[in-house]
Amino acid sequence: MTATAASENLTNALEDYLETVFELVRDRKVARVKDIAKARGVRAGSVTPAMHRLAELGLIEYVEREYIDLTPAGEKAARRVYARHQVLSRFFQHVLGTPEETAQEDACAMEHSLSDEGMDHLVRFLEFMQVCPDAQAFLAAFHDCTRLTKGPDACSGTCQRRSRRRGMRAAKLPSIADLRPGQRARIAIVDGGGAIRQRLLDMGLLPDVQVEIQRMAPAGGPVWIKFEGTQLTLRRNEARAVLVET
Amino acid sequence: MTAAPVHRVALAGNPNSGKTSVFNALTGARQRVGNYPGVTVEKREGRFTFNGSQFELLDLPGTYSLSSYSPEERIAQDELLYGTSDVVVVLADATNLKRSLVLLVQVLQTGANPVLCLNMADEAERAGQRLDLQLLRDLLGFPVVATVGHKGEGMGALREAIAQAVATPAGAPRLVLGERLQRSLDRIEAVLEETRINLSIRRWVATRLLLDDDQFVSRMKEEGDAGAEVLRVAEYERDDIEASTNEDIELFVTGRYYGFVNGLLREVVTRVAREDARALSDGIDSIVVHRVLGMPIFLAVMYAIFWMTFSLGETPMAWLEAGFSWLGSAISGLWPAGSESPVRSLLVNGIIGGVGGVVVFLPNIVLLFLGLAILEDTGYMARAAFIVDRVMHWFGLHGRSFIPMVTGFGCSIPGIMATRTMENERDRLATMLVLPLMSCGARLPIWLLLIPAFFAPKWRAPVLWSIYLVGIALALLLALLLRKTVLKGEEAPFVMDLPPYRLPTARAVVMKMLERAGLYLRKAGTVILGISILMWFITSYPKANQYDVDAQIAAGEVTVVEGRSATEMDPPATPEPARSTPGEIAAQRAAADLRASVAGHLGEGLEPLLRPLGLDWKVGVAIIGAFAAKEVFVAQMGIVYAMGDANETTETLRAAIARDYSPAAGFSLMLFLLIAAPCMATVAVMRRESGSWKWALFQAVGLTVIGYGVALGFYQSAQLFL
Repeated sequence: MTATAASENLTNALEDYLETVFELVRDRKVARVKDIAKARGVRAGSVTPAMHRLAELGLIEYVEREYIDLTPAGEKAARRVYARHQVLSRFFQHVLGTPEETAQEDACAMEHSLSDEGMDHLVRFLEFMQVCPDAQAFLAAFHDCTRLTKGPDACSGTCQRRSRRRGMRAAKLPSIADLRPGQRARIAIVDGGGAIRQRLLDMGLLPDVQVEIQRMAPAGGPVWIKFEGTQLTLRRNEARAVLVET
Repeated sequence: MTAAPVHRVALAGNPNSGKTSVFNALTGARQRVGNYPGVTVEKREGRFTFNGSQFELLDLPGTYSLSSYSPEERIAQDELLYGTSDVVVVLADATNLKRSLVLLVQVLQTGANPVLCLNMADEAERAGQRLDLQLLRDLLGFPVVATVGHKGEGMGALREAIAQAVATPAGAPRLVLGERLQRSLDRIEAVLEETRINLSIRRWVATRLLLDDDQFVSRMKEEGDAGAEVLRVAEYERDDIEASTNEDIELFVTGRYYGFVNGLLREVVTRVAREDARALSDGIDSIVVHRVLGMPIFLAVMYAIFWMTFSLGETPMAWLEAGFSWLGSAISGLWPAGSESPVRSLLVNGIIGGVGGVVVFLPNIVLLFLGLAILEDTGYMARAAFIVDRVMHWFGLHGRSFIPMVTGFGCSIPGIMATRTMENERDRLATMLVLPLMSCGARLPIWLLLIPAFFAPKWRAPVLWSIYLVGIALALLLALLLRKTVLKGEEAPFVMDLPPYRLPTARAVVMKMLERAGLYLRKAGTVILGISILMWFITSYPKANQYDVDAQIAAGEVTVVEGRSATEMDPPATPEPARSTPGEIAAQRAAADLRASVAGHLGEGLEPLLRPLGLDWKVGVAIIGAFAAKEVFVAQMGIVYAMGDANETTETLRAAIARDYSPAAGFSLMLFLLIAAPCMATVAVMRRESGSWKWALFQAVGLTVIGYGVALGFYQSAQLFL
């Protein structure tokens, strides 16, 4: 019997057992009935018939009262189920933001029914989410939104603001750090966050304020600016947060 | 007689607004300076009398706003919210009104009873600015005065305004912050009524909650259901504002503050300052901060300060040395010659010797702080920070770290004290902790003793140079390490105000200088005195029971002769046991005494630790002495080797040392002395400036462990390769 054919004969319960054996073998080299019982939260008596069945299907080596190990076919089948579990739980947790425990439970429930093709698409989606910067931003925005108790309507403001900022960045607005001594510009956005942004705002660097670059310290050192009768210096990273329109 | 009523006044304002001058002008010499517990922020209090009443003045840390980000802002905020001030004087820089008045708005929101003081009024007037002061008073509804702090002008009016504010406190502030913001704040305040938050500070708390300030959110969580409701309302208002205005809440609120201030100034400012008001200052800057000239000018200025400190300070230092010496002899003379009185020894060697050794540096300290005060008050410090920040920042330090660190090459104590100008606590701590690694002046005698002992003439200068370099390199590395570990944290803003160049007044500069000098002296009088006595005790007692040299004299192996001691003869000769002068005999006795004393035992106890460095108990004893003050190391070595009154130029001492230790051991000793165990004065100052023993001990222990490690590593590697 081929591995695929064998696993198609597997009930969900048996697949779960196979998965547990796989994990135990991976962690401890061999699996024992009592370990399996403990991991699955069942009595040892329930484990034994399942082991017999799996051994019949050629998926495990079962030496009674000794140890249990996977056959090559068994390992292949186990990996398939295990991978599905991982992909699903990652999707629930990292993309949807479901808490870990629930994510694991849902993954356990769904892993048996997910088709190979469906799995492919899901894997590709997850890869995309990890690699594409737009996707990262999108995911971050989604997670911010879920933090708010009120739901999508309330966070539309945050979204709008963020997309405006992103739009501005996409339009590639220069920052103070990009200007040259003698240049003047009008502040468009004060980006960044935390203590640094608050200090910039407190010092009077608000949108619509006109600034002039006096000088820049060599080798990426601080920037010296002039505005509204005051003069300030900022480090480059601070200057980069102040986006301007020339 | 009934006590005069005491009123408490807090003084708030931006940094660089001349707040200290006004404080000094109000309180004169009646002030004291300390630290807020556990932080490096300075706490300054003073008092003055007016019209029969006493006023206690608290100088709050200079801040640009009352947000909770930096320790300075938190302290100012806490004082305003929970302190007991009857009046809060907000000091505005008349040449920088917008920013100063934004702070005023925030202070008003805390429910304070205000007085507005427009300082630097002379400069603003020279720049062409004209204000309608009376209109400002009418619009604000509380006293407003104009002052020139550093000249002491307007102080009478200020005192009067404060008294007036005490007598008739201001009503609710007349702030116009826009309907949207006011509505939101009203709603939050309405719910705050159900909590235990004090009525007078509710406006401010509402504002902070709207801004999602962690400190106040936590506070609300302690208020049970009422608090939860408040948080819900605050969150709702915040989201609503952000959605409808397309601005984030921080920008919105700050924008409303500036909106009010701009509106107020439009009414009140009848003539705006000229565009070219800072032309002269800008002109100076174009040279001083020039891309090419900037650094050389900076280095020249540093050198000038150094020179002034150590060259000009030579003569007064020599006087003080002579004076203490004379004092020592005079006291000593009260006892018959050769007396072994412990009291005499305590007074002369312990107290006068110990304390004198620190006080003798006073001229240097005073001159150094004079120089630094001038640099600071002219505004040059900010320019210097601008120039060097790039390099400093790379190592996790701050542009303003540079000058204190350079100062440390003279002496760590003023260096550590000079970090007071640094705003950010973490930067300041990092600088203070690594400062002792700048090889200080007191270590120079050690280098001058050890280097010629072990190294041929052509190697001496490079070795000295390398010691200094190791110190600097290690300091920078440790700073980097600290910033990544123990002192890790969100980087504080570097955003720094650059005031126009100002001519410092002699009075302000001298006051600053005297204050620092006074602090230094007080340290000498307290902790150092205690430790001097302790050091004296453990190096003097117990004395030896019998002396080998006496046994030798009795056995006829040694004869006593008159004449100079072996150390005074040249070329250097090994002391002949057969013929010894009384001086030499006394020296041998002294050596035996030292060995028998507590310090001697400690030194012997250290020997197992010192052996892997190629050293022994004699060095151990000297190291213990060096804890009192580094230059004591040399004197102690002299005593141990029975050279009596030796100093670093004593050839015989050098020769004796060269005999006992290898060059590798010598260099490892130098590394140890460079890095480890900062002198007790440093520990004492560190304690004071950092606000707690924790940092002082962390520094002392940490540096000792590192010093040991480096010396050990060096010596063992040298054994492998040489």
